[in-house]
Amino acid sequence: MRDSTLETQIRLLTLQVESWKKLHDFITYALDKSKPIVSADQERQFTEIRGLLLQESEHVFTQVNLVAELSGKAMNVLQRSTSIRGVRDLSAEETRRLEADWNAVFTKIGVVQGQLKARRRELLGRNIITFSLARLFGRKAA
Amino acid sequence: METRLLILNSDPVFEDRALAMFDAMRKVETRIVRTLSEAVYILMRENFDLFVVEGEPAVAIGQATNTRQHFPSLEVMCLTRGISDPKLQEEATQQNIELVATDCSDFKLRSRLRRIVSAFERQSGTPAEGIDPCHSLVGNLNQFSAAEILQMSCMSQRSGRFTFKSSRGNSEIYLHHGMVRHAVYSSLEGEGAVAEIFRWRQGRFYFEEGIISQVQTVNRPWTHLLIDNLQKLDETIQMTSVQGKR
Repeated sequence: MRDSTLETQIRLLTLQVESWKKLHDFITYALDKSKPIVSADQERQFTEIRGLLLQESEHVFTQVNLVAELSGKAMNVLQRSTSIRGVRDLSAEETRRLEADWNAVFTKIGVVQGQLKARRRELLGRNIITFSLARLFGRKAA
Repeated sequence: METRLLILNSDPVFEDRALAMFDAMRKVETRIVRTLSEAVYILMRENFDLFVVEGEPAVAIGQATNTRQHFPSLEVMCLTRGISDPKLQEEATQQNIELVATDCSDFKLRSRLRRIVSAFERQSGTPAEGIDPCHSLVGNLNQFSAAEILQMSCMSQRSGRFTFKSSRGNSEIYLHHGMVRHAVYSSLEGEGAVAEIFRWRQGRFYFEEGIISQVQTVNRPWTHLLIDNLQKLDETIQMTSVQGKR
């Protein structure tokens, strides 16, 4: 059995995880002082990823009931990382905070993604009739 | 065996009508990308049964055509709103791109997509190796690329049949006195099939001396084919350069 809401949640979280990973690649690049000068093309790609996250995060977090927990942290990351050059110029304390917030967001969405996938696996082993009956009787018992 | 779809959609979070329909299908695995360079990067490394491009008609058909140039055997489908421009329709037909209009009811769209995807369900499995000790040359494409082994065989004026076996299917290239005479892969024949085999990086190959094809589908000298295909491969790799920079 497939649950369309669950499938949508997994798809949205997979896309979010990808975008946060890409953002992290750029942040890592920015913080590595040995890397050569930042190109305009890299800045453009960074802005693109940032734009996608600004647009989509709130919506995705709402869909998976994480908006209260993650919205603030996600916004902190996105607001602090204005550009690759901007990240490179952050103070040590600001960098630490940026990394801590990124990690909090990434860890939480990773965990929830795993839980949803486990739920999907569980549902695949069931059929719609047994599932509906179990839900019906479960509710009555409660 | 699941049907694998690679979906190019620049806004998969908010424009997800078709994505939700693919999600609901059984035995379908989807991978979503937002840019063409990402799609090409993945297509060079993984096999997909169908490449779906979703978006505005002109953009989507342009992207699908571009992909077709680099992956001649790939099944490509465009999901767009109604196409009024006959030029675009003609372009899609020429490039063997299936057009699916999304401005219809959910029921209609879902059944159309299901029909298309279910056509791939029967195709499955890795072909049997079928390698015989009498084959004069046997090897692995991880170690020698198709370009290398063909170059070697053409230089030594060989006549016979090369068989390539990979998860993408089987293909054959016939040589005649060091010239490529005929090539076939799935429904592709001639130079298109040679171009496809050039991209393979995984699989096995063997050569059977003396098997000559009666059919001739390749008319250009080997050196021209080699240069053209290597150039094309370079262009494909260039398309993914955005990925590489990350």
